[in-house]
Amino acid sequence: MRLAAYLARRVLLLPLLLAGVSLLSFVLSHLVPADPTAAFIGPRAAGDPEIVAAFKHEWGLDRPLPQQYAIYLWKLAHGDMGMSIATRRPVEVDLRERFPATVELAVTAMAIAVAVGLPLGILAAVHRRGPVDEAARIVSLLGVSMPVFWLGLVAIIVFYAQLGWAPAPGRLAGDVSSPRPITGLFVTDALLRGDLPTALDALKHLVLPALVLSFYSIGSITRLMRATMLDVLNEDYVRTARAKGLPRPAVIVRHAVRNAFIPVLTLMGLNFGNLLAGAVVTETVFSWPGLGQYAFQAASSLDFPAIMGVGMLIAATYLTISLLVDLTYAAIDPRVRVG
Amino acid sequence: MAGLGRIGRRELLQGAAGAAGLSALGGFRNLLAAEGAAAEGGTLVVGEGFDITTLDPARTLDLTSCMVHLATYDTLVTFAGEDLKTPKPLLASSWHISRDGKTYTFAIRRGAKFATGRELSADDVKWSFDRVKNVKGIAAFLMDGVDAIAVRDPQTLIIQLKAPQPSLIPILAHPSLGVLDSKTVAERGGNASPDAKTLDHAEQFLNQQSPGTGPFILQSYSPSNELVLVRNTNYWRGTPTLARIRLRNIQEPASQQLQIERGDIDVADTLGHPQAAALRGRPNVVVKTSPSATTFWIAMNMDPTLGGPFANPKVQQAVRYALDYNGILKLAGAGAIRLAGLLSPSFPGALPASAAVKTDQNKARALLKEGGMTDVHGKFSYPSGWVRYGVQIDPIIQKIQSDLAEVGIKMDLDGSPIVTAKQLARSGKAQFMLYSWAADYADQDDYLVFLPGRLVGARARWTPDSSPAAQEITRLGHEAETETDDRKRVALYQKVDRLFADSSPFVPLFVPAVPYAYRGNVRGATYNTMWELDLYAINKQG
Repeated sequence: MRLAAYLARRVLLLPLLLAGVSLLSFVLSHLVPADPTAAFIGPRAAGDPEIVAAFKHEWGLDRPLPQQYAIYLWKLAHGDMGMSIATRRPVEVDLRERFPATVELAVTAMAIAVAVGLPLGILAAVHRRGPVDEAARIVSLLGVSMPVFWLGLVAIIVFYAQLGWAPAPGRLAGDVSSPRPITGLFVTDALLRGDLPTALDALKHLVLPALVLSFYSIGSITRLMRATMLDVLNEDYVRTARAKGLPRPAVIVRHAVRNAFIPVLTLMGLNFGNLLAGAVVTETVFSWPGLGQYAFQAASSLDFPAIMGVGMLIAATYLTISLLVDLTYAAIDPRVRVG
Repeated sequence: MAGLGRIGRRELLQGAAGAAGLSALGGFRNLLAAEGAAAEGGTLVVGEGFDITTLDPARTLDLTSCMVHLATYDTLVTFAGEDLKTPKPLLASSWHISRDGKTYTFAIRRGAKFATGRELSADDVKWSFDRVKNVKGIAAFLMDGVDAIAVRDPQTLIIQLKAPQPSLIPILAHPSLGVLDSKTVAERGGNASPDAKTLDHAEQFLNQQSPGTGPFILQSYSPSNELVLVRNTNYWRGTPTLARIRLRNIQEPASQQLQIERGDIDVADTLGHPQAAALRGRPNVVVKTSPSATTFWIAMNMDPTLGGPFANPKVQQAVRYALDYNGILKLAGAGAIRLAGLLSPSFPGALPASAAVKTDQNKARALLKEGGMTDVHGKFSYPSGWVRYGVQIDPIIQKIQSDLAEVGIKMDLDGSPIVTAKQLARSGKAQFMLYSWAADYADQDDYLVFLPGRLVGARARWTPDSSPAAQEITRLGHEAETETDDRKRVALYQKVDRLFADSSPFVPLFVPAVPYAYRGNVRGATYNTMWELDLYAINKQG
């Protein structure tokens, strides 16, 4: 009951929070000292008042700002996120195409980061000052300090251009058609359609960008996991568990890791949210048509409907992840009570 | 490119459209089905940093869109390869110009058919041009000089101008003036009436279909990913050799470089100069540059309240002499040409590079001293991080700042994002700004925007009455744009260019060359500054 009430409360708060985000996005994007007509209308057209007026009228830019915002909210309440000025398509169509691409990349990157970072951090703490610990320090240092743009380009040069191990940047090979969408995740959709060759092709294209994107998360997760494990391993209850004669693996996994994991969970949630918000640089380098690229292009060209749409989607994503992290806390740590 | 493997069809994106008119599209679908089944002729894969807002010809001047329009629609006239000087007949088999230069009569070619199978007539041309004018989109200015368009018979079109305009023929080569199947587009919400700006709703349809007579047909378009064209087997000039063209959206020039080396793309269309340099000498890759018609220049504000010291003609002259043009050219990339006046060297009447101002920093210092300006300080505005036609602006800005400092002109750099910089440039409030002008159409007239009181000249607050030279250049410019005799016209433009170079508040810098590359088995790839690649002219061997 408490959980249900807590969930209901969080879900009911969502529209309010999103409305706040929409207002913030609207105000901030309109504070930029530039007119979108400069981005979308050529210099000659910009010199013709009739064309400028027609453009502004077409996109509702000739209305007072409060009216523009009210119209946007009204349409949003009816499921209409407006038309992108840059792509001339409904924003939700653009987002439906872009967001799954980012989700696919982010989930894979996060899975790699967790699969590598967690065990590495645990082992580094357990074998402190040993070779594993040294290796973990190097990995985490490199992970958090290497610029993604550089890493991505180096990865493409080495693994694609020189060795030929990785395919050309993009989600699929040029002669492979994308699977009919169910989720928008190419690997998943291809498998659901029973199209194994396409699934494998999509997976091949996913590996390198996901690896590049996972580096920072591997570094930060390893580092934090190691640090929290070291703290926990010195706690009284761990000493007690050892004294009681529990096997070492049981002490580490059942007692130490479970407690050490809690702050790392927060970090994972934040990292995942960042990944889902779109990795502009990685997406550009790997020609990955995801949300980050779309957001950057929208911001660069003052495509207000797209900016608002991206803002709302990212906010909703972060709020959802935050809720999931809170619920996971409660599941892991009996001391934590939701509500 | 890598082996073909399994070839599938992309699902056509379905926008919001009425059910009416689907039967008219039957011809499209039959053609597309035929193309899907037979891929003899091969597929060309082009790496392109997409610059597409819309595929509606009336609403765009974007370069990538122009390339697609050139492939899917035909214009009345065109240019071949890199040429921008000799218009060639296309849908107009011939034309006649009246003695007063105001009436153009075009003979419309027989036998050119739309992809639906319907034969093109002069009514389609009139409808398409009226639509461009009346939709009041970004391409509407192309029809500014037109007073009326009439159809005498299905094969004769008459364009009546408000005043003599020799640039009309080159303007008609612009892909935004490609001829649409009026019947099909009207059925899908198209409107060419004077109220078209509110009544036309064909944009979504035109983003998915290409109802033209061109050599290719739009099969699919995903803004984030790829645009696919299939050949029009009914094309009146002959079926294209290539069965399919895939334009892949690859924004990162370094990625294009790597992919063309590996053979995963056949043509890299938006390379930077560093990538082109890295590709030279690579096996099986041909690297070329093509002259652009885009001019880079500095504008100084002639309004003393805005321009400060740069409103002073002596300071303007000093700036001209202070710059190390050879150094700037090196930074502008391989193939860049020195700009001497307002005209790109691609056009007749342009001053040759040899006639451009030579660096003379002593003279610059002397001019400043003459003008009593020994300590000039200003704000140098520019679009920071801007890369245009492979030219990186930031190093050039720093070079200019350094050159000016050597003669005693201190500039504070004021970089801003491109959209803000564009607005500043258009506002006429910048004191000292580096910017560029990309020719809208292939004629010298396009550059008259730099004259006093006209679009770009006005932004520098340069008015016809600001000086005797300004009055003279204004008069010469008006004469040149209405002069119908080619030789006289060229002579007038030479005078305009000379006056501009000597007495305008602009400092002409350079015209870049555009780098591009293609695989060794690709033939016929040429780059034209108006529309990038002519896809019909390209074929692949092996």
